Amino acid sequence: MKESYNVVKNDELSSLYNYLSNLKAPPPTIEEDLVKIIIRRENLREVIEYLSKCDGIFLRTMMASDERKVEGFFKLYYVFGLDKHHKNIVIEVPISEEDPVVPSIVDIVKAIDWYEREAQDLMGIKFSEKIPHKFVLPDDWPENVHPLRKDYTIQDLSKLYKPRVVAHAKEVEAEAVVVVPIGPYHPALHEPEYFELYVRGEKVVDTRYVGFMVHRGIEKLGESMKYDQVPFLAERICGICGFVHSTSYCQAIERALKINVPERAEYIRSTILEIERIHSHLLWIGVAFHLLGYDTGFMHAWRIREQVMILAELLTGSRKTYGLNIVGGVRRDIDEDKVKKSLEVLDKVEKEVKNFIDIALSVPQVKTRLKGTGYLPKPDAIALSLVGPTTRGSGVPRDVRRDYPYAAYKYLDVEPITRSEGDNMARAEVRVEEVFQSIAILRQLLDKIPRGSIAIESWEAEPYKFGIGAVEAPRGEVIHVIITGTYSPYRWRVRAPTYQNLLAIPIMLRDGDLADAPVTIASIDPCFSCTDRAIVINIRSKKVEEVPLSFLSTKGLKLTR
Amino acid sequence: MVKFVRVIPLATKVGTVTIKYPFEKPLVTESFRGAIEVDPSKCTGCGACTRICPPKALSLIVEGGSLILRYFVGKCIFCGMCADTCPEKAIKVTREFELASEHIYDLYTDVEHEIITCKRCGTKFVSKKLVDKVRSKVGEPLDELAYLCPTCRRIEMLSKTLIFR
Amino acid sequence: MQVQQIQPDESLGRGALEKALQRLRKSVWVFHLNTGSCNGCDIEILDVLTPWFDVERFGIKLVASPRHADVILLTGPITIKTLPRLIKALRGVPRPRLVLAIGSCAVGGNIWFESYSTIGGFPRIMDTLHELGITIDKIVFIPGCPARPEAIIYGVAVLLGLVEQKSQYKRVKA
Repeated sequence: MKESYNVVKNDELSSLYNYLSNLKAPPPTIEEDLVKIIIRRENLREVIEYLSKCDGIFLRTMMASDERKVEGFFKLYYVFGLDKHHKNIVIEVPISEEDPVVPSIVDIVKAIDWYEREAQDLMGIKFSEKIPHKFVLPDDWPENVHPLRKDYTIQDLSKLYKPRVVAHAKEVEAEAVVVVPIGPYHPALHEPEYFELYVRGEKVVDTRYVGFMVHRGIEKLGESMKYDQVPFLAERICGICGFVHSTSYCQAIERALKINVPERAEYIRSTILEIERIHSHLLWIGVAFHLLGYDTGFMHAWRIREQVMILAELLTGSRKTYGLNIVGGVRRDIDEDKVKKSLEVLDKVEKEVKNFIDIALSVPQVKTRLKGTGYLPKPDAIALSLVGPTTRGSGVPRDVRRDYPYAAYKYLDVEPITRSEGDNMARAEVRVEEVFQSIAILRQLLDKIPRGSIAIESWEAEPYKFGIGAVEAPRGEVIHVIITGTYSPYRWRVRAPTYQNLLAIPIMLRDGDLADAPVTIASIDPCFSCTDRAIVINIRSKKVEEVPLSFLSTKGLKLTR
Repeated sequence: MVKFVRVIPLATKVGTVTIKYPFEKPLVTESFRGAIEVDPSKCTGCGACTRICPPKALSLIVEGGSLILRYFVGKCIFCGMCADTCPEKAIKVTREFELASEHIYDLYTDVEHEIITCKRCGTKFVSKKLVDKVRSKVGEPLDELAYLCPTCRRIEMLSKTLIFR
Repeated sequence: MQVQQIQPDESLGRGALEKALQRLRKSVWVFHLNTGSCNGCDIEILDVLTPWFDVERFGIKLVASPRHADVILLTGPITIKTLPRLIKALRGVPRPRLVLAIGSCAVGGNIWFESYSTIGGFPRIMDTLHELGITIDKIVFIPGCPARPEAIIYGVAVLLGLVEQKSQYKRVKA
């Protein structure tokens, strides 16, 4: 369905359409929320430069896809979003197999960095900026075996790699620099991640993060499962925000195949999403207090949270990993008694949280350690396309529930909650306010829930259709991109919020105290099971590069680069 | 200034919320999904549940001359899709969660079916119960082909319809 | 299908394990090891410490290093990147080494049992650990996705010999 240019009121959007139509490329497909264009890789840099100058544009994700059997090329899909116009702009770049080199755009769009490294590791696409080391896969993975290519099935790959247990200790001797490893098994962190903080005295000078401990091959697994089995896989991407991933996957398929979900199912999905948000924020508050040493706060926050978990079990059948979503609707209904019980529990939780937070945030050690630490300036938050409370705490009002409405949020008005200070306290306050906002939204939803069926009767799968599904998780924006196949997804791309937000950590840790590091790292609410990458960012020269351990041990290292 | 001291009366008002499991009953609600139970009298060995199970906790194997439906609770994700998919409604979702075990083999449950051997080529391929059930619904036309495996069935049908000159 | 079984280890003398376990009747110190799980079981482990379930009434507490631990709480399907670090951590645990494999990922690999990036659960590396000389004295497997806090308490009770396990291998005829 082509949108008529007369309907477009805004000049900006029409000048963008004009620019895209005048390129030496096939004309763009324009749908209600999507603009898609195929360009050649020679034109990539100039198109990206034009787009980066548009006001209010953010990078949402990038996907590399192996379509050699279908169209004879590899393809790169860059997905940008214009929040105020509720539009996605998708740039497709075909790449031939004989010469898989693409110009890198990391100097124009800083946020693309990790996506390029992932595409290199998993799909074998080379970028013009040389990236020496492996990130997703371990160092002893065989060369030239790229798991996401269609050449290998899951069973083939598990025979190709036999892990060599290498336990070697690395010794670092650097002048005036002491390395303090935190992780992978450290009591401050509950997940296996490994941060190396280079400190001088007590001030943090540099950071190195080695991740991908939790890489489990989800995208490749999804291609070998049927459509209705994948929501269960998606839910186990993260145990704290699992329902978000399964909803996002279902929405991507429904958008690609143009399936209309009944209204009652949309309301049920939004209800469970908000309940998940409340439990996740209360969990974060407890963990943050624990990291500050205020264990009383930890115990009280989790005591209040337990009632939400019991409510979730009553509504869905399991405390976590609800197993409620299928493509086209939900599996279980919410009847009158359950609605009444939910409202009772919500009233109780609201009163208790108000009471408790009032007391907890006035504790002197909590106040002084949260205020003024981990500062994230607003221009950085925009340049790196950060998402969620991390960016809302620095004054950037991005929220998927308002910018790209989905499920029952289409019928409600959700205003993003922001603070302008940009420190740890601001992010904590944003999360507390969001708990109260969620309770208010839940009351509206449970009041207006319409009658009807909870899932559509049946649906047909058509291959090679493109769809995007995005949901606002407690940590930020989750976006899934799907290309459908006959019985299972052809290509499935998952981008979780922590993937984007981890880029902010070196900026926030810069010139801070070592003791503030755990709370600052925790303040972006990292969920490493959603993420997993490795990168080194040198904060002094503001360059993104690889700094191997051996380099730091040579004498004469100048840290003021 | 000393607002934070108010946490003490808060704690006193709340009191103890601990559920003293295992000396008290656990906090299980009515909709909880625990381990499944397969009713051996209703199960026909069709394998529909094995196809929908996301982690392949239910599997159909031929062992020692019988067809076995094997349920490994160690891989189960407690989603309940098998109970929704079973055409005979033989699978029930219970509320059992006390499943800890010292040995892996204690976590397996087997339902044993008598297996049919193909009259023509001798491969074992399907449970007797399923064949009997299908025959009772389809009736006479199936009788000759009922005890042949799919390959042999195709060969038999082909040789019947081809007219040799 | 071959089912693995650990042979009781006699290297420390007959009945040494039983004698050691008798001393560990209640107050075990646990170390939490996440080998790439989704965090569902991990937050349930943390939940067991909070007021509603309060496992500290049994004297159990979380410690910061494997060298102080009696029991290792293992979650996750063991990704290939965590394997070297897992072995290093297990080596540091003093005998008797007790392991609680929590959640369907650690017991059988869950949905990830055939992924290229995971080993697929604790039973699959038991042989490798034996070859490297790391003997595990007792293991208890706790299924669940995620494993309920009550199920974890039940599993600890089975490990310490306080209750008899309910699960038994059953074969019924249809």
